[in-house]
Amino acid sequence: MNKKGQEEIVGFVIIIAIVSVIILILLSFMLNKKDIVAVESYEVESFVQSMLQYTTECESYTEFLSFQKLITYCDVEGVCLNEEDSCKLLNSTARAIIESAWNVNDESAIKGYEFKIFNEEGEMVSIEKGNKTANYKGNYQDFVRSGEDYKVSLTIYE
Amino acid sequence: MVKKFSKKGQMKIQQMAFMLIAITLFFVLVVVFFLAISLQGVRRTATMLEEENAMLLVSKLANSPEFSCGNSFGGSRANCIDFDKVFALKKTLNKYQNFWGVTKIYIRKIYPEDEIECTEENYPNCGLIKLLDKNVNSTSFSSNFVSLCRKEKFVNSIEDKCEIAILMIASEDKG
Repeated sequence: MNKKGQEEIVGFVIIIAIVSVIILILLSFMLNKKDIVAVESYEVESFVQSMLQYTTECESYTEFLSFQKLITYCDVEGVCLNEEDSCKLLNSTARAIIESAWNVNDESAIKGYEFKIFNEEGEMVSIEKGNKTANYKGNYQDFVRSGEDYKVSLTIYE
Repeated sequence: MVKKFSKKGQMKIQQMAFMLIAITLFFVLVVVFFLAISLQGVRRTATMLEEENAMLLVSKLANSPEFSCGNSFGGSRANCIDFDKVFALKKTLNKYQNFWGVTKIYIRKIYPEDEIECTEENYPNCGLIKLLDKNVNSTSFSSNFVSLCRKEKFVNSIEDKCEIAILMIASEDKG
């Protein structure tokens, strides 16, 4: 057998070996991809719904206000019975609830969030943490109280 | 009469064998590669269906008569669980062992956070109800946020108190 033929075989075998190794590496990457617990949009929706129903520490003359009622109470510059400013309480309660539910760090699937409450005039509350990425799940709930429109939105960045 | 192959002929056969093995190996790998891609799609669909199913089951549970707030807390509420009702249900759970087709049902308060398991002694100052906890191989938990409401007695009145919790369910792992 001539030398040229031998070289061709060796070259071909090397190419096949390299291609096979590349395919095997790609396969192992595809099959062993770790399942990261991702956030589902229904979770965000349920969270906002539950948050609006949360009973806050703000007491009016009739009852302890729900988070939803506290938003409207803050809008009319109401003061709770214990003389606490309703807007300050709204802000601190929202921050505490969101922080307890959505853990933002490099190791979790959640990279950041943005929470906003709007009335007809504009933004009432804005809470942000972490990074905004292109991959996100969001939801908003709107409601009307005393003829005024309100919107509560939450976006979770993954 | 013994037929003798020439050396050149033997080498040609060897070369051909090498080529055939290499080409077969190459095509097998290509087929496996495409199979893996299509299997990934099937797996993704299966996961999506499983999640959708779990989500539906969690929502169904939260809004079932045994769990839901109904109209007890002023109007109907979505994803609202009556804490008092659920705690009462825990005592008679033997009747419901196979009712929901799941192996575990936990409700965990997340705000205000509380890790103490609920018993008759500490209720309602607790944060975890293990409503159903069958000792079988289970899948990982599917969960959803719910509002956990109860009636709380104050000095002169009884007030509604709603907190935020997650409803967690797991099914039997048949895999």
